[in-house]
Amino acid sequence: MRVAMAEDSVLLREGIARVLDDAGFDVVAQCDNADDLLLRVRSSPPDVVILDIRLPPTHSDEGLRAALELRSSHPDVGVLVLSQYVEVGLAMKLLADSAEGVGYLLKDRIGDVEDFVASVRRVADGGSALDPIIVSTLLARQRPDDPIAALTPREREVLELMATGSSNQGIADSMVITLRAVEKYVSSIFSKLGLPSTGTESRRVLAVLLYLRS
Amino acid sequence: MHTTLRPLAFCALGLAGCAGAVYSFTSAFRNPAVGSDLGEPLVIALLSNWLTASYVLCGLFAWWRRPESRFGALMVAVGFANFISTLSWTTNDFTFTLGQAFDLLPPVLFLHLFLAFPTGRLSGPVERAFVVSAYAAAVVLQAVRLPFGGFGPNNLLEFAAHEGAALISLRVALLTMSAYCLVGAATLLLRRRGTLRPLRPMFVLLLDAFALGLVMIACLFVSASFGGPAVQEIRWATFATLGAAPIVFLAALLNVRLARSAVGDLMLELRAEPAPADLRESLARALRDPSLELAYWLPDFGVYVDLEGKPVELPDLQGRSTTLIDRHGDHIAALIHDPALDDEPELLEGVEAAAGIALENARLDAELRARLEELRGSRARIVEAAQSERQLLERNLHDGAQQRLIALSLQLSMLKGRVDGDPDVKEGIDQARREIAASLAELREIARGLHPAVVSGHGLAVALEQLAARAPLPVDLDVEVDGRLPEPLEVAAYYVVSESLTNVAKHSQAKKARVAVVRTGDELVLEVVDDGVGGADSERGSGLRGLADRVEALDGRLRVWTPLGGGTRVKAEIPCA
Repeated sequence: MRVAMAEDSVLLREGIARVLDDAGFDVVAQCDNADDLLLRVRSSPPDVVILDIRLPPTHSDEGLRAALELRSSHPDVGVLVLSQYVEVGLAMKLLADSAEGVGYLLKDRIGDVEDFVASVRRVADGGSALDPIIVSTLLARQRPDDPIAALTPREREVLELMATGSSNQGIADSMVITLRAVEKYVSSIFSKLGLPSTGTESRRVLAVLLYLRS
Repeated sequence: MHTTLRPLAFCALGLAGCAGAVYSFTSAFRNPAVGSDLGEPLVIALLSNWLTASYVLCGLFAWWRRPESRFGALMVAVGFANFISTLSWTTNDFTFTLGQAFDLLPPVLFLHLFLAFPTGRLSGPVERAFVVSAYAAAVVLQAVRLPFGGFGPNNLLEFAAHEGAALISLRVALLTMSAYCLVGAATLLLRRRGTLRPLRPMFVLLLDAFALGLVMIACLFVSASFGGPAVQEIRWATFATLGAAPIVFLAALLNVRLARSAVGDLMLELRAEPAPADLRESLARALRDPSLELAYWLPDFGVYVDLEGKPVELPDLQGRSTTLIDRHGDHIAALIHDPALDDEPELLEGVEAAAGIALENARLDAELRARLEELRGSRARIVEAAQSERQLLERNLHDGAQQRLIALSLQLSMLKGRVDGDPDVKEGIDQARREIAASLAELREIARGLHPAVVSGHGLAVALEQLAARAPLPVDLDVEVDGRLPEPLEVAAYYVVSESLTNVAKHSQAKKARVAVVRTGDELVLEVVDDGVGGADSERGSGLRGLADRVEALDGRLRVWTPLGGGTRVKAEIPCA
């Protein structure tokens, strides 16, 4: 799997590259700014791009703009955005159209090498990876007549994992339950929230996200 | 002229003028030829010498009252030149020839005088060349005429008497002079239309009288050169018009009396102590100059300011005049007015004297505003300095400690992969990583408290989503702002919402809150409303006060309604032109 990345901290850029290299990825581009990354992607599109949301020269929204541009110009390339702050508003911007092949994680997650590598792989494969903080913020969000309160603790746990982009198999693995049980929980959640059940796993990420945000 | 000699010289000049007029009048009266040539000698001689006397006397008066203007001196010169031309009525050969030689000079002098009104100076090289050429024409044409004769027996310069040549040279001379006079009249009428304000009727009346006089001279000359029917009547009318001009001029000078009554009205108005803002209106009325502007002098700042305390420059361009006003030896203000007012120093002085206290009060008002403006500016600078300081700290934290901790956590994670066996070591590494994660979470909160990077990076609308989502009560968020706003404004707006929601959560016991952000024209309006208990104490915490500082530093306004039991509503309006 080919990865291109943009991160202005040398320490982190090289650390991430090593982690991905060790995990069998082919790191084809390491850039320290968004323009270089865009050039490299255009000349030879990788499977997934990892980039910091805050990049030179102004360290404001260069990373996000590059991510959004790649999303529209190269829909087949997965885009994983890393940031030292995760914000609901930014998640909504990144996932505006679809959650397919997109990820938005707190930078701290790099430290959990296994999870991080899994997320990169998922995004490269067209899945999604949303930081648990975003999901928990949205879940904790107060709303009148909250149907979330009607969920059982297990269902809630499944919902959280589902919203971060985990596949049913992933949920089954991390909760140590059967795939069949996960499917049951999922359909129960969708009916309790009044959501129509959707096909792919990344579509249900967006559906759940929009539901939680409204 | 030396000050002690001046009155004496003026008296001498006046006496000389009067004596000349009397002498000339007597000569004409006694000259039998005058009667046959001019019709009624008494009327013409009287009118003509009235010109001499009135121009000399009025000129002296004007000279005395307005020494800085050359107009009075010029008038006196016109009077004496007129006297010389009236010598043509004497029977002495020398004086007669002298008078005849200067016969065409008075019309040019009138032309010069009228064009030089009111300063006594001609405006521009074109006008000067025009007047000089008129003088030259008057002298040359008459010099050409005299040798051909036709002036009677006393003409000393008659060398080649020729009736036809005399008539032709007379016609050429008179028509040339009338052409000069008509051009002069047209210039005056253009000037009347172009530059003067209708508010100064006396001024306009004078210009009209001058132009009329020039037209009358032209009529007289044309009529005389062709032996027209009513030469005599036209001559009377011309002399009467020219003779009336100094009277009108004198009346304009004595306008001081009118000015006094304007000053009297002003004093009555000022007794009612008008607001500083209305002072300009009162002064403009008294000075009859609606274009009047006031500039107050602030010695501490070394600048002139308007009533709002904003610095103003005194104009140095043409078309505006400045009168400086002092009080008790201190400079307090400047009047910026129409230069036509320079001709009425009495009026200006009167207004200055009457409005001294009022101007001083207005000056203090302006000074206060200027200080407030300065204070506002320094508050804005303080808020801005604090903001950029915090922004820098956040940035350093982000690029420094936070990145390093993340890299450290990554390193530990990779180290763990390489440790075989020993579960204690692995657990130790995991423990360290958990510590790092906790530190990172803390640092993240600190960084967010220092500066909301997401606001500067991605705008208010994006940042408010997070605030609404994190609030411990349902928040209805409605942001109607297209695009980005200036960063200080977005940051201030963010803090208003953030702090207000924190207050709602802490004190209000509200069930829900609503945040509305709307950009209406050139203003950003923020409202945070809750349905809680109200009665918030804005003095207790520094939060609201700090918010007001932020908002007011941007020229905005923060208001809080918090009736007991009626919820709390925080509203900020910040200009964003």
